[in-house]
Amino acid sequence: MNLSINGPKILWKIPVGNLFTITITETVVASCVVTWLLILACYLLGRNLKKRPDGRQVIVEKLVTMLYNMVEDTMGSHNMHYAPYIGALFLSSLFGSVISTLGVFRSSTADLSTTATWAIMTIVIVWASNIREVGLLSWLKGFTEPIFIMTPMNIVSEFATPVSMAFRHFGNVVGGSVLMTLIYSALALASSVVFGWLPGLLGEIPFLQFGVPAVFSAYFDFFSGAIQALVFCMLSMVYIGMANPPRDELGRTSYQAQKAAKKAAKLAAKASK
Amino acid sequence: MTEEMIVLSAESEVSETLSEVGGADPAPTEEYEGVISLDVWTMLFTFCNLLLLFYFARKFLFKPIKNMIDSRQKEIDDLYDDAGKAKSEAEQYKAEYEVKLENATAESEEIMRRAVRNAQLKEEEILKEARDEAAKTLQRAEEQIESERKQAMEDIKNDVSDIAIDIASAVLSREISEDEHRTMIDGFIDGLGEE
Repeated sequence: MNLSINGPKILWKIPVGNLFTITITETVVASCVVTWLLILACYLLGRNLKKRPDGRQVIVEKLVTMLYNMVEDTMGSHNMHYAPYIGALFLSSLFGSVISTLGVFRSSTADLSTTATWAIMTIVIVWASNIREVGLLSWLKGFTEPIFIMTPMNIVSEFATPVSMAFRHFGNVVGGSVLMTLIYSALALASSVVFGWLPGLLGEIPFLQFGVPAVFSAYFDFFSGAIQALVFCMLSMVYIGMANPPRDELGRTSYQAQKAAKKAAKLAAKASK
Repeated sequence: MTEEMIVLSAESEVSETLSEVGGADPAPTEEYEGVISLDVWTMLFTFCNLLLLFYFARKFLFKPIKNMIDSRQKEIDDLYDDAGKAKSEAEQYKAEYEVKLENATAESEEIMRRAVRNAQLKEEEILKEARDEAAKTLQRAEEQIESERKQAMEDIKNDVSDIAIDIASAVLSREISEDEHRTMIDGFIDGLGEE
């Protein structure tokens, strides 16, 4: 019996001069395959759209509408332009987890690099939105509130957000795959104990590995993968949505409105002199 | 393992323990990343892949579908608006036509009444004219009769006086002045006519 839990296999190392070496791991291959398959699917599903939709278009429209409704409910109707990003994130995450069931690829989400990248992308959007919303100085000043001593806590909590997102997703998927590996090994062991007395080759066939793992795979790969994709996207939506409150009636952020008010006050003071 | 990789210290132990469970190391030619590790290249590829998927999914799927749904919604709204407009217009026309119809009935009645009145006036006029004409004709006839009577009187008077003169001259055979005679006879006749 051979049981080992490894990270993603390094498939190729491509040296670029003497500066650095590009490493291509299983994760990268799975990620690229998922991406290009999804792009192809998007292309095939999104063309020949008709005013009177056929079956395929009805389903696709339903799914897209669900996504848009979810984004609208979570982030507000003024943040609808984030819907494609959330959709892309969800599809990447879901199919990145599920692709391992093909048996050829390793889940791209079973690599901390992947989930960390997505978490960093989300948190960068959040930070950028915050800075745009309140201005850089006010944002930095926000870390010292409510009292100055809280500053380290605030900074830690700000970084804890992406770290927890990345580890939650990664941990669930990799935990599932570890459990699946363990279940397979355990079933092989049980098989050899139960059916080992059968003569010749018959005794070496792990009968218990048929069927039983499918139940666990349905849970760990599909259900857990979908849940984690949903959770990751939900958290992204909530964080980005909180960082993008509705604009005022002129389409300005509160920072821009404040600045404009200050400028107007200055002009008024000048005029009164 | 690459130098860009950040391997958490706990990971190597976990990996080793797990490997020990199996009791066999992977083949020496195969290299693995740590179970809990960050690799810059993987992150870069993941980042690019997500951006690619975002771009193409938006271009091929989300935007066209959203546009299609929106335009369909707009079309439906327009249809309903048009239908509502058409309905209110039809109702307006209906009201208009009803008013017009009522007016037309009233108008036709008015025309009838006017025609009857005109006819009555005409009738009266014709009757009056006829009566006038008759009266005039009568008057003219009377005048003519009068003048003819006068003429006849004159003629008779002349004839009578001539006859009288003739008779008198024959009877008397005596010449008297004709003028004297005529005056006498005229006086006599006038006296007759006045009686």
